[in-house]
Amino acid sequence: MPLTFIDIEKKKSWRISVLFIILLVMYFCVSVALFLGLAFIFPVQFLGSGFLLFREPLYLLVLIVISLIIAIIHFSFSAFGAAGSIMRSLGASPPDPEDGVHRRLMNITDEIHVVTGNKRQMKCMVIPSLSMNAMAAADLKGDAVIAITEGLLSRLTRPQLEAVMAHEAYHILSGDCLDTTVATSLFGMYASMLENLNDEDYMGFYLLFFLFSVLLTMSSILSMFISREREYRADAASLRMTRNPLALAEALHLLSRNWTGVGVIGGGLEMLCITNPKATELEKSGSWWADLFSTHPPIGKRIKILLKMARINISEFEEKAYSKTETPYISETPEILYYALDTRHQWQGPYNFAELVSLSWLSPRTWISKGSANTVERASEDSSISEIFKNRLSQSDGEVSAFSCPLCKQPLFEVSYEKTKVYQCNFCGGMLVENDKIPRIIARTEKRFTDRVKSVAKAVLMDNQRNLMKKKLRGAKKRFQSVILCSKCRNPMFRTFYSLAYLIEIDRCNVCNVTWFDMDELEMLQCVIEDRIIPGLNL
Amino acid sequence: MAVWVFISLIFLFLSWVIFIYNRLVTLRNEVKNAWYQIDVQLKRRHDLIPNLVAVVKGYMEFERSTLEAVTSARTRALSAVSMHEKAFAEDTLTLALGRLFIVMENYPSLKSNENVMQLQEELTSTENRIAFARQLYNDLVANFRTKLEVFPDNIVASIFAFQSVEFFSSEDTDKGLPVADISARTK
Repeated sequence: MPLTFIDIEKKKSWRISVLFIILLVMYFCVSVALFLGLAFIFPVQFLGSGFLLFREPLYLLVLIVISLIIAIIHFSFSAFGAAGSIMRSLGASPPDPEDGVHRRLMNITDEIHVVTGNKRQMKCMVIPSLSMNAMAAADLKGDAVIAITEGLLSRLTRPQLEAVMAHEAYHILSGDCLDTTVATSLFGMYASMLENLNDEDYMGFYLLFFLFSVLLTMSSILSMFISREREYRADAASLRMTRNPLALAEALHLLSRNWTGVGVIGGGLEMLCITNPKATELEKSGSWWADLFSTHPPIGKRIKILLKMARINISEFEEKAYSKTETPYISETPEILYYALDTRHQWQGPYNFAELVSLSWLSPRTWISKGSANTVERASEDSSISEIFKNRLSQSDGEVSAFSCPLCKQPLFEVSYEKTKVYQCNFCGGMLVENDKIPRIIARTEKRFTDRVKSVAKAVLMDNQRNLMKKKLRGAKKRFQSVILCSKCRNPMFRTFYSLAYLIEIDRCNVCNVTWFDMDELEMLQCVIEDRIIPGLNL
Repeated sequence: MAVWVFISLIFLFLSWVIFIYNRLVTLRNEVKNAWYQIDVQLKRRHDLIPNLVAVVKGYMEFERSTLEAVTSARTRALSAVSMHEKAFAEDTLTLALGRLFIVMENYPSLKSNENVMQLQEELTSTENRIAFARQLYNDLVANFRTKLEVFPDNIVASIFAFQSVEFFSSEDTDKGLPVADISARTK
């Protein structure tokens, strides 16, 4: 065990040459097969019969040279700049310095540079996905990247994030990340491509299909080469930096109980991740058989080791972890009806809460009366209504942006929502959000929703589901209604559902990649995803 | 013949001395560099504190003493000269800042202020960097000091008068803390 982070020597990677030889052998086999095929098709021409190949060393030499050239080309294409291409395939982007959570990530990356004595420059990237995983990649060009998904980033506390980043940094510094990245880009990338191609349209590519499945097997055999011990070592190194075994154990525990990105992070990339996205039951069992064939050690084993260092009992730890992740339930409050005294001193109503707060003449000094009680009070005295007023006020302290509200035509204000920057209209409460920021907002759970938003979300979801069903049953044609114009490019925006799983209507501009949320729509969307509201069908 | 053997022996001896000397110089420079790293981070912290105090002041009328403790600890840290003084002053500052952060938790209006949150994040990050830079520095110093004391190297070191370097620690505060135990336990 080296004493400090900077003592971690970069091992001379003999595994990379093994990879190259495997590649070479593979291409040699392919070219021999092609040659035999050609000889079979044109028996009389210059090639002679197929058996000539084994009698004439010249042909063999030519084939070796050809496969060597192809292997070198393939190797250099995928091994240099592999980190960049893997990140591109995941749609990762560098963190946004204006965003609070991303800012923290950048700070932690700098901290890691400090503790490692600036030996190696590492970039950090964010993968716009709600899944929870982190990965490290390095290539022969010298680039090193630590990528973390938006979902994990938003759920980890600062010490936990530090521990995860230190774990990934060790992979890069010790050099074992280089092996895995090269292996991944040589074989794994194709494997994950194969997963995506698994469509009926591509049934014609049988040969390709066969080749790819050979590659897939190859990469899984390779993953046995690359020992699982490095994960334990990286955990230990992470401790040496943060001196906080509990944080890493908590982070791993969180990872083990959540969606770690099956489907988003392709199967071939699993070697790079902190935990295997496709952790199977076999792997979790931790038998020696599983140990031989999996890319990662069972997470329970890793947590146990960490807890031993923290001197904490496992049952104690789990108790704490489970109590923390309790999901808030939606409380069913009976709807209260309000009456309000209008400007001409006439009692109006009854209104429900949403209708009341959208009344144009409602001010903090308006007299209101709750339906059940006979008391009369100022609107500002009701806590939930005054909250709305407060929001209206706090919204006004933002920077005026260049865009205008598509509905009210008034300038939008730059405000910070869930620690990221969005544009909001002070009049209608709608929000303009860049598309790449939406996953971030959804991943973060800082904002608490009022019962009103929850109930509205439920109702809207139900209604949309019903309409969609009706449409499907009648077989009505899809038609896009363009209602409003984009605030950036003035082109019409499309009103669509966020996705078919989350039936909240939004307006999208496909030219400048922004989305307009009417008032409450963004909150409803977050609420639906966080609380897993599923529309029940009662037609 | 004997002359040649003698000459080659001298040559071997000299190259051995040069090798050890170079290794010691490399280590010393690494230590020096690590010290600059600490200095940079300490300066960053000293620059950030007045900003935080200025922003927080308005909210925390009743916590005068906590804020004053931070400000005075900062002034003392700025005027410290020797390694031990510096380490001691910085430790007091860390404690004072920690207390301030805890007190800040009680003010929801502070926590909702974007500016304050950002400053707090920057300061937390700086605290970490200081701790990490210190960790690195102390590890390197330990390395260097071991080299100065082990057998063949100590002769070369004494010939060229290499000076030992102090750890960045204030003896009083470090006693109670369990440090460095972890690397032994990871096995």
